[in-house]
Amino acid sequence: MIKLKLNGVSKAYGATKALSHADLEIEAGEVHVLLGSNGSGKSTLSKIVAGSVRPDAGEILLDGKPVTITGPQSARSHGIAIFYQELSLAAHRTVAENISLASLPSRAGIFVDGDALEERAQRYMALFDGVTGDGFSLDAVIEDLRADQRQLVEIIKALAIEASVIIFDEATSALDRAQVERFFEILRALKQKGRSIIFISHRMDEIFAIGDRATVIRDGQIVGTKRIADTSPSEIITMMVGGHDETDAKAVEHHAPTGAAALALSVKNLGGRGFGDVSFDVRKGEILGFGGLHGQGQSAVLKALFGAAPPTSGSVELDGKPLNPANPRAMIRQGVAYVSGDRAREGVVTGRPILENVMPIHYLRDRMILAHPPASARKALPALQALRTKFAGLGFPISSLSGGNQQKVVIARWLIDRPAVLLLDDPTKGIDLSAKADLFALIRKLAEEGMGIVLYASEDAELLDNADRILVFNGGAVRRELTGTARTRYNLYQAAYEAA
Amino acid sequence: MTMASAPARPQSRSALKRTFERYPFLPALIILVVLIVLNGWFQPRSLSFVGITGLIKTYLALMLLAVAQTYVIYAGDIDLSAGAIVSLVNVVVVGFMAQWGGDGLTILAALGLGLATGLACGLVNGIVVAALRLQAIVATFATSIFFTGLALYIQPVAGTPAPTLFWRTYGGRILDIPFVFYVVVAFAILLVVLVRTRLTLRLLAVGDGQQEAFQSGLPVTAVRIGGYALCGVFAALAAFCITGDTASGDPLVGGKMTLFSIAAVVLGGSALAGGYGTVVGSVIGALIIGFINSLVFFVGTPSEWQNLVQGLAILLALMAGVLVGRGARA
Repeated sequence: MIKLKLNGVSKAYGATKALSHADLEIEAGEVHVLLGSNGSGKSTLSKIVAGSVRPDAGEILLDGKPVTITGPQSARSHGIAIFYQELSLAAHRTVAENISLASLPSRAGIFVDGDALEERAQRYMALFDGVTGDGFSLDAVIEDLRADQRQLVEIIKALAIEASVIIFDEATSALDRAQVERFFEILRALKQKGRSIIFISHRMDEIFAIGDRATVIRDGQIVGTKRIADTSPSEIITMMVGGHDETDAKAVEHHAPTGAAALALSVKNLGGRGFGDVSFDVRKGEILGFGGLHGQGQSAVLKALFGAAPPTSGSVELDGKPLNPANPRAMIRQGVAYVSGDRAREGVVTGRPILENVMPIHYLRDRMILAHPPASARKALPALQALRTKFAGLGFPISSLSGGNQQKVVIARWLIDRPAVLLLDDPTKGIDLSAKADLFALIRKLAEEGMGIVLYASEDAELLDNADRILVFNGGAVRRELTGTARTRYNLYQAAYEAA
Repeated sequence: MTMASAPARPQSRSALKRTFERYPFLPALIILVVLIVLNGWFQPRSLSFVGITGLIKTYLALMLLAVAQTYVIYAGDIDLSAGAIVSLVNVVVVGFMAQWGGDGLTILAALGLGLATGLACGLVNGIVVAALRLQAIVATFATSIFFTGLALYIQPVAGTPAPTLFWRTYGGRILDIPFVFYVVVAFAILLVVLVRTRLTLRLLAVGDGQQEAFQSGLPVTAVRIGGYALCGVFAALAAFCITGDTASGDPLVGGKMTLFSIAAVVLGGSALAGGYGTVVGSVIGALIIGFINSLVFFVGTPSEWQNLVQGLAILLALMAGVLVGRGARA
């Protein structure tokens, strides 16, 4: 029996097609797995079904009847619940309050029925008895809980809605073995009751342990659906890779310097929020790529090395000298550069002229107190020209530029005084193709001039085309290193979906 | 009750931490006790029955307004028009009573009208901020000017007297107990009732994160409007107390109370960012401001230095609150 059916559902953000003409059928009593690489559209699809994103076109049918889902509240009333990957918990409220937040049991219509609230929470928490760990109780405040415990609360919250369709978007990422096993027992029980479950995970072993059918999404399009029993991990990865396959491993000219080249950056057993025990070396002249699915610790490692979120353990050496990433100011002075893909929040100084957006790093490194605009302009121009930045004048506001040119300005900041190491944190997010080509050409040139470069790119093609070596992250740790001809899309996806 | 479930942590330390987390107004309470002792030290009569009654009479309005502000701040919003609502309700009530006579029935009708005015102002704020999505600080600053303008239109100058029956009742005694004590008891009961409502919990959840609350299926816009509406009603109650205390109408009476009400909320340990706090803390915060003002007077500060000393004392109280709270929670 078909429980949920999507007919030609589409969603675009500006020019980017997040989902185009998606058709999907979810049966009652099945666990339906969604797979795809970063930005393939699985989260967009989930959010459309859960009502937090409105589709541009297409229809959704529940039990064969078309329904309009206007928001999260409306999705709930249609019997659809979702576990949000980024969680939807109120940090200062208790576990019991969070579980029933949207449907607080009441007395006389206005008062919170505390007994019913606790009774309800207790009933669902009992499902995880014995695996929740210390400090997990009805009146524990979310803020005081560990990451895995918060994730359990979000799971319980989704279960407590007693919906007929439940979406779990990366619900197991922080859970330990025992917790995952208990969670799967619960899912199997729900299946028995005829509930439909949409399951998104980046662990292939989990997908094969719990899934009934799997649908692969690539570039916003549904590639196909397979019965888990009739398929294999390699077939699924091949579907995710699509036509590209080995051809994509194109004979990337091996830029990588020989093993004799000096180390620019050496990282040993680095640990911090969101990652642990990360070790790697970057040679001078090398572009080291960070790959894997979103949020597996790549950004966190780069931010830690820049001192923006200092690491809690491990050691770092820059040019053979020990380095303590205490804060960004110190790192800038030591010659570490960091460029974020989130230009609006972590890159440009909005509302200020282009010149002022290029100069701050130079001023800091030169310990400059008084700025001389013409002298600044003489320094800024070559840096901007090296990047082929298109702008009308240095005095124009940064907002007058396109996204790609804004990002070039942000990178130009670091070119006046050359840093020893350049950390690129998904630098091409939302940038047009020609600007991307310019950026990567420059990055390669900087590497050839002897800079050590670490590149995290969420678009796999960028990584495969530009990185000399790729470290694949999963669950906050490096799972595999891809070098030479092993740098293929297939290997990248396989490592990204490998058991943590 | 939860301490038993956290055996991993050292018991005493964790118990202290939990107590402070559960009752974020404890640092404020400690400061209040210190201030009360100091007041008694410098002026023993200030702690007499008459002295306390007088202090409550004067600061009941600020306590109510601090509570009003708390509900808005719970949701991560702010209301810069709270004081202007007090002024508007004050002139509406006094004007109505002056127009229709000062008998008991008219007074009750005037109070009803005052509550409706406060509620209407709160709804306007809520719609402007939550439904039209304007910045709370600027939008309520604008509505504060608008409400003040309305008040000035209704009563261009201060001085219209309130009926004798009204202020005599507020300042008088029933069964030998000052009337304000009945008000305090009613106020306390109202707060206890409100703490248990779904609206309070939802306001706090919205303050913890609007996106999360929306994705959980909460009606975020309606909840925020509810917070402003509640704020308007409490501002009206504050206006009643001011009217009883000053016995007259004044179109600018509440203006300077707005920032004091916000200071009281912060002194009481609530987070301006929302999601965390208590109304009891705000009441204590208002009392701290009251006792600081009377202490500055009792130690004999020359009049030209009083504002400066008051300001410094409030800063000190804020710092002490932060330090005590941080020390206990560390």
